[in-house]
Amino acid sequence: MGFDWITLAFQAVNVLILLAILRHFLFRPVARIIAERQAAIARTLDEAEKARAAAAKAGEDARAEAERTAAARHDALARARAEAEAQAATILEAARDEAEKIKAAAREEARAEQRRAEAEQLARTGALALDLAERLMQSLPEDRRVAGYAARLAQVLASLPADRRRALFDSETPQLIAPRPLGPAEAAEVQAALAPYFATTPPVSVDPGLIAGLELRGRHGSIGNSLRHDLTRIAQVARNEG
Amino acid sequence: MTGSPLDLSVAFSVGPVAVSEPVVITWGIIVFLGLGSWLLTRRMEARAGTGQAVLELVVGALDDQIRAAVGHDPARFRTLVGTLFLFILTANWSSLVPGIEPPTAHLETDAALAGIVFAATIWFGITSRGLGGYLRGFAEPSWVMLPLNLVEQITRTFSLMVRLFGNVMSGVFVVGIVLSLAGLLVPIPLMALDLLTGAVQAYIFATLALVFIASAVSDGRPTPPTGKETS
Repeated sequence: MGFDWITLAFQAVNVLILLAILRHFLFRPVARIIAERQAAIARTLDEAEKARAAAAKAGEDARAEAERTAAARHDALARARAEAEAQAATILEAARDEAEKIKAAAREEARAEQRRAEAEQLARTGALALDLAERLMQSLPEDRRVAGYAARLAQVLASLPADRRRALFDSETPQLIAPRPLGPAEAAEVQAALAPYFATTPPVSVDPGLIAGLELRGRHGSIGNSLRHDLTRIAQVARNEG
Repeated sequence: MTGSPLDLSVAFSVGPVAVSEPVVITWGIIVFLGLGSWLLTRRMEARAGTGQAVLELVVGALDDQIRAAVGHDPARFRTLVGTLFLFILTANWSSLVPGIEPPTAHLETDAALAGIVFAATIWFGITSRGLGGYLRGFAEPSWVMLPLNLVEQITRTFSLMVRLFGNVMSGVFVVGIVLSLAGLLVPIPLMALDLLTGAVQAYIFATLALVFIASAVSDGRPTPPTGKETS
């Protein structure tokens, strides 16, 4: 019984040895792995935070891009709408112009048709008038078809300027056209009427188409002095006025 | 144990040096803990298995205790406090092995442990506060307390030694007496109680050692956490 100092020393050394062993084989490895795990967790958290920030930034970028796309779409739609409206207005204007042109052409054609119809009507009317005049003249005495026309022909010749008259009948003697052969009195009357203007009496040709009257015809021109000529002029004036 | 608790059985002698049984048993405990630690920590991985998780849980709890007592990096004190706890616990529970007496049931082992705590307290106190700061700590809160503080250094070391020795020795002694009087199975409840007593005593010894070291390294003011700890 007593206190064993040798055992005390042994046990103190033993505990110190155990302390070194546990430090090397237990506490350091465990503390190191805990520290490594904490560092890994910290790194993971940092990376997660970075990833979250990157995701948030990507989300912001995506939202901004979507807004830009929406704005661009809105602008494109507005432009397309404006262009479509302008194009529609242009097309409408062109269609309206085309319609106006078609209407004008139709009106012009209608007027031309009307003029043609009126001309035909006038022609028919003139022909009818000629026919009526011819029938009326045929029902009158034969001397009425020439009487008075010689004086009228002399008046026309007198009314023509001298140069015009020379241009019409220079260097030739025109033919005198009558609706029937002239009687001696009628030929004398004609000769008397034309004597101031022609050296020789113009030869007489018969053209029943004159209906009534006396006309002079040369190579350069003629003087219309007949009922047919009058009716033709009336019809022409009527056509021109129509 | 039915003889005097202060008797030591000599296991063998090397010349004039007699090696007692508690020393040999302590060697066995050293081998057991060393081999166990090596086996458990030789394949540490970031993705912990069951054994590694238990180890990390124990070390984590130990670090929490140290951090709560000292207030900063537990790495400096982890090895000492952890070794004291594991050794005392293993030594106390070694009584479960038939024919083995816990080394902590002998005064020499407890004295060695208390002496190590005493030396560690001085070492950590001087390295933390400097020699002057450590010595001035004995005169706090006033010079009048100097003798009492000096005596306290000795008495609390004796207190550590005697508390552990008394509790473990008494448990082993009672189990030995009951076993010799009653029979084989009767002392089993007392042995279970002895296990609990052994764990509690290991915890008390380690915690008191930690408190003594904490009081030595602190200058009476709370130490703020460093924020960066080392392993």
